[in-house]
Amino acid sequence: MAPPPAMPVADAMRPALPDGDSQANRDLLRVMEKPSLGYFGLLGITLLAMHVAGALWALMVYLGLGVAGYTHPIFWGAYIVTFVFWVGIAHAGTLISAILFLFRAKWRNAINRGAEAMTVFAVLTAAQFLGIHVGRMWKSYFILPYPNQRGLWVNFKSPLMWDTFAISTYATISIVFFYIGLVPDLAIARDRATGWRKVLYTALALGWQGTSRQWKSHSRSVLHLSGLATPLVLSVHSVVSWDFAMSIVPGWHATIFAPYFVAGAIFSGFAMVLTVMIPVRRIYGLERYITDYHFENMARFILLTSLIVGYAYAIEYFVAWYSAVEPEQTSFWLRAFGPYWISTWTMIICNAVIPQLLWFKKIRTHIPSLFVISTFVNIGMWFERYVIIISGLSREYDPAVWGVYTPTWVELAIVAGSFGFFATLFLIFLKLFPVIAISEIKELEIHAKAHGAGAGS
Amino acid sequence: MSELDRRDFLKLVGVGAGSAAAAGCSDHVEKLIPYVVQPEEITPGNAVFYASTCAECPASCGLHVRTREGRPVKLEGNPDHPINRGRLCARGQSGIGRTYHPDRLQRPQKRGASGELEDTTWEEAIALVAAEIAKAPQKTQVLGGQTGPTRGQLIDDFVGAVGAGGRTVYEPFAQEALREAARAVFGIETVPHFDLSGADLVLDFGSDFLESGPSPTEHAGQLADARAVDTHDDGGARVIAVSPRLSMTVSNADEWLSARAGTEGILALALARVAIENGAGDDSHRALLGGLLADFDAASAAKKTDVPAESIERVGRALAKAKSAVALPPGVALSSRRAIDTTGAVLVLNHVIGAVGSRVQVPPASAGAQPSYRETLALIQAMDAGNVSVLLLHDANPAYSIPGTAGFRDALEKVGLVVAFASLPDETTALADVVIPTHSALESWDDAQPRPGVRSIAQPTLRPLYDTRSFGDALLDIGRAVSPAASGALPTGSWRNVLEAAWADTDWTAALARGGVFTDAPAGEPTALSADVARLEVVEPKFTGSGSHTLIAFPHGFLYDGRGANLPWLQEIPDNVTKVAWASWAEISPATAESLGVEHGDVIGVETSAGRLELTAVVRGGLRDDVVAVPQGQGHTVGWWASRADEGAPGEARGVNVLDALPAGVDERGGRAWLTEKAALSNTGRSRRIPTQQTHDNQRGRQIAESISLVALAEAAHGDGHGDGHGGGHGDGHGEAHEIREPFDPADDAHADSEYRWGLGVDLDRCTGCSACVAACYVENNVPVVGETESLRVRQMAWLRIERYIGDGEPELRAGRERMGPNTESVGDTDVRHAVMMCQQCGSAPCESVCPVIATYHSEDGLNGMIYNRCIGTRYCANNCPYKVRRFNYFDNQITKWPEPMRLGLNPDVTVRGQGVMEKCTYCVQRIAEARQVAKNENRSIRDGEVVTACQQACPTQAITFGNLRDPESAVSKQAENKRGYHALHVLNTRPGTTYLAQVDRGEVEG
Repeated sequence: MAPPPAMPVADAMRPALPDGDSQANRDLLRVMEKPSLGYFGLLGITLLAMHVAGALWALMVYLGLGVAGYTHPIFWGAYIVTFVFWVGIAHAGTLISAILFLFRAKWRNAINRGAEAMTVFAVLTAAQFLGIHVGRMWKSYFILPYPNQRGLWVNFKSPLMWDTFAISTYATISIVFFYIGLVPDLAIARDRATGWRKVLYTALALGWQGTSRQWKSHSRSVLHLSGLATPLVLSVHSVVSWDFAMSIVPGWHATIFAPYFVAGAIFSGFAMVLTVMIPVRRIYGLERYITDYHFENMARFILLTSLIVGYAYAIEYFVAWYSAVEPEQTSFWLRAFGPYWISTWTMIICNAVIPQLLWFKKIRTHIPSLFVISTFVNIGMWFERYVIIISGLSREYDPAVWGVYTPTWVELAIVAGSFGFFATLFLIFLKLFPVIAISEIKELEIHAKAHGAGAGS
Repeated sequence: MSELDRRDFLKLVGVGAGSAAAAGCSDHVEKLIPYVVQPEEITPGNAVFYASTCAECPASCGLHVRTREGRPVKLEGNPDHPINRGRLCARGQSGIGRTYHPDRLQRPQKRGASGELEDTTWEEAIALVAAEIAKAPQKTQVLGGQTGPTRGQLIDDFVGAVGAGGRTVYEPFAQEALREAARAVFGIETVPHFDLSGADLVLDFGSDFLESGPSPTEHAGQLADARAVDTHDDGGARVIAVSPRLSMTVSNADEWLSARAGTEGILALALARVAIENGAGDDSHRALLGGLLADFDAASAAKKTDVPAESIERVGRALAKAKSAVALPPGVALSSRRAIDTTGAVLVLNHVIGAVGSRVQVPPASAGAQPSYRETLALIQAMDAGNVSVLLLHDANPAYSIPGTAGFRDALEKVGLVVAFASLPDETTALADVVIPTHSALESWDDAQPRPGVRSIAQPTLRPLYDTRSFGDALLDIGRAVSPAASGALPTGSWRNVLEAAWADTDWTAALARGGVFTDAPAGEPTALSADVARLEVVEPKFTGSGSHTLIAFPHGFLYDGRGANLPWLQEIPDNVTKVAWASWAEISPATAESLGVEHGDVIGVETSAGRLELTAVVRGGLRDDVVAVPQGQGHTVGWWASRADEGAPGEARGVNVLDALPAGVDERGGRAWLTEKAALSNTGRSRRIPTQQTHDNQRGRQIAESISLVALAEAAHGDGHGDGHGGGHGDGHGEAHEIREPFDPADDAHADSEYRWGLGVDLDRCTGCSACVAACYVENNVPVVGETESLRVRQMAWLRIERYIGDGEPELRAGRERMGPNTESVGDTDVRHAVMMCQQCGSAPCESVCPVIATYHSEDGLNGMIYNRCIGTRYCANNCPYKVRRFNYFDNQITKWPEPMRLGLNPDVTVRGQGVMEKCTYCVQRIAEARQVAKNENRSIRDGEVVTACQQACPTQAITFGNLRDPESAVSKQAENKRGYHALHVLNTRPGTTYLAQVDRGEVEG
């Protein structure tokens, strides 16, 4: 199937407009213009959610983790669930930017900036939960292996240790990646901005002039960073999955966890990109740049990863049965029919059943449907982590201490606050940086100009 | 630059840094004052032990009070004491809390003009009371609980000296029925005591002798020795329990006859008849066949008692065959209006089977004032009639423990001056006009004589914390102030002098060091049956009310008659059978629940002729369909933990007082009866969550609490040692053999150079599930008590808990809502496994590898250590622990859960943990460290038995062994080699240091 061109060739060939700026520059920089009332309204809501959560978190640090719903034997709750959720979300950006870049999938250009931003923000959101979750966050730096006079060292055997490295590495790489890609666009913005923005962009643009030498270095850096980031896409969520798989908890101790989690991460990441970019495209009228073709391609990814995730669900049950290990069998049986059956069936329906609608091209190209399906996937993926973590812990080896966990309102408010935090960062990003990589769009335009229609493939 | 040389520079830097550091530390200055003149006996850092006597119940166990720097920090059993032989139950362990209780009465109080109690001075309080007494001495009465002999004599002296009207002894759980029955059966008014040592068949008619009986610690130890399988090839003593509900005692029986409540006497006589017919007894007994026993043939008894005739015949034959059988009479729960006749019937049975004089000791007639409920009721009438102007109350809480219908509270208002002697406030002190604050038991001198031949001393072990006086001194002060004549008639000197004088016939110092004078109990002569026996009327008791269910008000295993309710540990440690804490509940059978349309956790109404209660239903299979069982002891409105004051609701009752649904009535001979009411049950449509520590008792065949049949055990003993399979036990269909041992040597898991690998053994066959170890662990290790709200979230901090499983369990699963609560038990099934669960100190510990900061690590000697300071609280270790023995400090328990002055009683050897850290059992590593230091100083190794963990020390049945697994001669090594040994969840290959010995299934008693 030949994809439609990213934009009409005629447009690209149109001479420069009277005010001397290109269409793409104007269209995409317009997003950054004076925010509307609606924008402020939305920002207000997200800021409120974030600050309520912050205040509750401070209260929780003061009073103790008891304000959360933890109960013996469920020592991990909504915070770890949400941590894994956000780490998962963080996977789409790098996948789009790095892997699709290496595979020269041109359709990524329209969405990579937004996805990369989401990656950075999701990793930052996730990382906070490591601090929120621990009992003594004021001592959480103990987890970092640095020489100290207390003679403390860390346990490199612990999956949480690996986790710390995985998350910090991923955060570093994704921030650098995001920033390097942003530099040419910052220069465009700098050239057109006034006031404080001028100062900001001048500083951030690092003196970008668009010389061929700079372009050469830039594309080299992006290529190398893509190479570095590619294994991370696979490793970060593998390591996160080992937080569970390396333990002996029934329902956690499974070799399938790494690929299962990676697929789930990409699945949820793409869904989140859709959930965020569909409204952005509509509100800012970016249909010219982010076309249905882009969304359809993402839908295909979601369909593929949904199949992988669905397969993982099935194989987990098969292995539990096949293992003939009673605690394992019991854990899975109770997962489906025990106290957490609602969560389990929510997860299965949202993640494995609903995405099957994407087999139909009509639905793949029907944007409202895509938005609804991606929202279901987001919900389903949060519940997937909830099911794995909570139902696993609630039914372990010693039936005398089986228990049931329900999150408290404090936990739910902090979880909601994490969405507020993420959304706040994204909203600010919308107004501060080009949401679509202008330079890459222009590159496509030039390609289109040079090679005619169909160059987008 | 020459002005500042190097030395000055360093000095200035030093001063600057020093002052900065000092300023940064803390606002308040704490002074460390060294002992200039060091008190004798006290070496800072070393514990000093004092022998004393436990005051928690009339059993009067011997104590060793462990003190540090002048403060008691732990109560342990006195090994020389004949009652408890060094062990101490949960109630005894918790007794330390009375001294450091936040409620402590700190100075005298009197009722002021406002009607509230106000602080006053000792002089004023004494003058006030003495003046009132002097006005009308003969209208002065003393009402109080059972005391030691010397204190009892002092009260009698006081009554005589001031010319008071009299003294009444009121003890809620006095064995009045037993005393009356002894008079009827033996012609002696005395309280027989029961000795289970050497018994081969114990028949319990609902005495609950392992939990709330007359001497639980003593009896548990005797029974454990009598049925130790390692010394008795035949399995030793068998226990047959008669009870309408599965109590902890029943759960330790080999057979359970669920007779209709109140018909125990009929069953006892039927058994006596079968036994005589099968050759038991002598001519005098055979003579009974035509008289007392005439109507008690097995068939008609079966009809009345609801016990199959076959069982009666079989058990009767077993009684006849047994060499040393003993029958225990009903306790409080089954004291009906026919309690004396029932108890008499059991005494007759004892006589028939030849137990009287050996297992049943009949001491000479009791001397001194004896508890009498009838006299108490008479006193209330006198009070009500206005014939009492001054009432002195001590050692009792009648405002709580006498049913409201007796009118005690109303009668109290008609008393001119109510004087309460107490160290802690309760419902009675709240009604008093003058409150005389007394020393706590650990602050005062006292003595006790639980039975002839056992004289026990209690001595003070710390300086009084507050402006209090011992009861004896306060009474003497009041008496001397009444009149010069009274003063002259009273003993001279202080209470201590009085006590010493009473012990003048002994070597005081030696007695003090040993804890008392213990002569062998006089071997009572076999007492002949009295002719009055024929007058026993053993019939089914009458019940009041028209309800469908019999109300059983059983004593709570820890709260006893309610006196334990204000001790935090006794509230927090869950009940031994239902695992419910901090609450009252009503036990109903599944059939009852179904007919009411309620489920576990729903609130039901329990209505009797005396009142109506609303209680959370605990639906359990181990209960007759025609009874509803409610624990006594809750429903207090006064007390930090007894009421809901600790939850911020002072004055609000915690749970309900079941006495509100019981009449004040007495049995036909004046004793107190609890089993008198029929209750109508109703569904209130509401539900109320109650803290329950364990909601599943099906171990799903996971081999956590194992059982082995005698046959399989014998086969294992003759087999090739390790790896012998054993049958699933009680022939219930899933008897496929499984490996009981796994091939590893627990001694391996320590550093190669280490001399020690610490290990612990738990003999589930000895364990009764009494929770003494749990309480000991709480006190020893400064484990916080989290309270009701947190318990509802299952956040108890217990390092050691007792899991209660029914049988091997079934791995079947049912969809839908699981039934919570004791859900797999059934009437008649005694295959209840109490598994002590604490950190197993795994050699291959799942918790250690997952901690990112090495806060939990493997020590050289094989322990699984915790470094609290390093813990950041990821809680991964707890997730990965298959035994779930790790506890997390969700709040700053060290601050919030130790109200002043409780922290004075903290064990200084154990760190108090702060917010956000994980904690768990470390085999009392502080005790290991202490022993290691001593051994090091003496340049030797730690000897076997030198380290005794707190749980091991407390265990009434010595079910716990501790020692070095690297020493093949150590007791714990031998236990690890035992044929019954296994490791919990061994399929996980955690290589635990804890070895369990499987419970022994002795099967039904053969006739």
